[in-house]
Amino acid sequence: MIKRLLAATGIATLCLMSAASAADKVEMWVRTGIGEAFKKTVEAYNSSHENQVSMTEVPFSELVQKYATAIAGGQAPDALSMDLIYNPAFAAAGQLEDLTDWAKSLPYFSSLSPSHVKLGTYQDRIYGLPLSVETSVFAWNKDLYKKAGLDPEKAPTTWDEITANAEKIRALGDDNYGFYFSGGGCGGCMIFTFTPLVWGAGADILSADSKTATLDTPEMRKAVDIYRNMVKKDLVPAGAASDNGANFLTFTSGKIGQQSLGAFAIGSLVTEHPDINFGVTLIPGATGGTSSFAGGDNFVITKGTPKMAAVKEFLEYIYSEDGQKMMAKYGSLPTRGDIAGKVLEGLDPRLQVGIEAISVAKTPYTLQFNDLINSANGPWASFTNAAIFGEDVDGAFSSAQSEMQSIIDSGQ
Amino acid sequence: MTGSGSKTLSPQRKRRRRSGWRGLVYIAPAMALVILFFVMPVIFTGWMSLHNWPLMGGTRWIGLKNYVRMFHDARFLSALQFTAYYTVIVTIAIFAVAFPLAIFVEKQRRFVSVYRTIIFLPVVVGLATASLLWVWLANVDSGFVGPALKALGLADKSPNLLATFDSAFLTIIIMVVWKIAGFTMIILLTGLQAIPADLTEAARIDGAGRWQRFRYLTLPLMRKTIALALIISVTGSILAFDQFYIMTSGGPQNRMISVVYYIFNQSFVSFNLGYGAALSIALLAILVVLSIVQLWLLRVGEERP
Repeated sequence: MIKRLLAATGIATLCLMSAASAADKVEMWVRTGIGEAFKKTVEAYNSSHENQVSMTEVPFSELVQKYATAIAGGQAPDALSMDLIYNPAFAAAGQLEDLTDWAKSLPYFSSLSPSHVKLGTYQDRIYGLPLSVETSVFAWNKDLYKKAGLDPEKAPTTWDEITANAEKIRALGDDNYGFYFSGGGCGGCMIFTFTPLVWGAGADILSADSKTATLDTPEMRKAVDIYRNMVKKDLVPAGAASDNGANFLTFTSGKIGQQSLGAFAIGSLVTEHPDINFGVTLIPGATGGTSSFAGGDNFVITKGTPKMAAVKEFLEYIYSEDGQKMMAKYGSLPTRGDIAGKVLEGLDPRLQVGIEAISVAKTPYTLQFNDLINSANGPWASFTNAAIFGEDVDGAFSSAQSEMQSIIDSGQ
Repeated sequence: MTGSGSKTLSPQRKRRRRSGWRGLVYIAPAMALVILFFVMPVIFTGWMSLHNWPLMGGTRWIGLKNYVRMFHDARFLSALQFTAYYTVIVTIAIFAVAFPLAIFVEKQRRFVSVYRTIIFLPVVVGLATASLLWVWLANVDSGFVGPALKALGLADKSPNLLATFDSAFLTIIIMVVWKIAGFTMIILLTGLQAIPADLTEAARIDGAGRWQRFRYLTLPLMRKTIALALIISVTGSILAFDQFYIMTSGGPQNRMISVVYYIFNQSFVSFNLGYGAALSIALLAILVVLSIVQLWLLRVGEERP
């Protein structure tokens, strides 16, 4: 009797154990601001697979330090959606799982977004694979254009035109403003939406080898003037001066005539704010040309996670046509070039502009991206605020230039 | 201190030694906690400060280089400067508000306990919570202060209080005074209540005026209480972090980076734990020196003449 009981409990335990190992729960962190794309994909995956993914959103400005401290404390999630500019630093620190062999065995490996794979590669080994692609674009509110007597179908092509349009929209009065940007020391927002003005005009904020800060250029001066001028003319809401990125999607309020946004925002606008009638075009450069910031996230796996198989299964789902379609519907551009056409079929045509932007887009490659650009207290974040809202433009240029250079030098 | 028993005999000494052991046993639990949670972390921090200690990856011994770097670090020096500025202003503001309040609630009058409670209420709110509340109050569009000024016709446009240094700094000072003054008031109140009524009475009979009684009687008798309140206020202000982090993220153009904020940035944004540890040790030294200076200035510990 007792033997039978023992056997029964033994079998029951075995069943439980095997059930537990069959259905793994993958812990994954993503940053806020990535939009709905990934969230919906996780939901779709969880409802159709035995393994489950549990997703935690972490504020984008804190994700890197939270992940680094979690690794140091042994509490890191299995996988992470990492802003791809951080990928080199974490790979160099030896905290990520080497995916080289598995990645190369994927039949579509060669068609994965090359810039993502490049940033995911460190010393010829692959530590990160593309998860989401985003480019920055310029959006305008067609309803406000119409109200202000502008042609709602005509995309502005220069900043003079944008400023003139902004004035007309502001003239509608009330809370209607012509332009918006998160200017309260949000380095990430400004590198994404503001540097394309400089890049389009042919200049850059770092030298090609990232060893020299080249902030003070005539192109940057011109770009700062354009924004300053709009602030001075009261075409931008006063809240912009202290918005640290929390209100990046102010365009969704319907009271903003024009704003530079990302492709994720297009997805959110289309699916969650269908009442906003907007157009999308490339961001004009300060003195001509167009440009964009190619950003997005890489999928990285924490070194030593026991749930490798489940994580890989999830990533393969993301690369499947279903997964890609789901991501694209909510604004993440396809990461697989070979099926991009098929994925975008029947989706909002405005996403196409996001794809076009890839060909003119740039991504800075530096191990010190957080210190230089993204940190709320870094030189770039305070420069954008000081130069656009402050009294002393020359001082803002010279102090940011020297501070950036000293950070670069101390990291050599 | 019992230094007066100078002519000690051996049995007395023995007894004293025994009672010394007993005393040690009594304070052992407290000592264990202090050693475990203060002394050892400080020693470990000191050890870390002698290394290049990144958050991820290996550590490397670099001796005193972190401490040398500190003296050439313009951002650290400006953080020190800002912290000193903030400490002076906020301490004066807190005392300027808390002292009159303490005198006001000391006298027995109608509803005095209601006043005490109301003034003390903000103290029990967490500093982070209070900061978030004030972020909302100061919000330019959906807040309270700006839109109220506009509605009252005092401003043409709702002002963005957190956008410029002066108005943001003023907002933070008002928030901190609102939050902390109640606590300082309670400390000062206990000091006021400890002054025997007959002393005041005697001074009054001697013909001392209101100001004279305050200057020559109340203030000297409250020296220890004031020292306590001052040290708590100064230490708290030097360690300020939450309000700058939450309300202004370091302020317009990084002008509100306090020392602790800078240590946090170095440790967890730039991942230089070693340098952060060195800065923490430096801050600890500054705090110890400041506290000693304050105790000396207020002659706490000496018997009254």
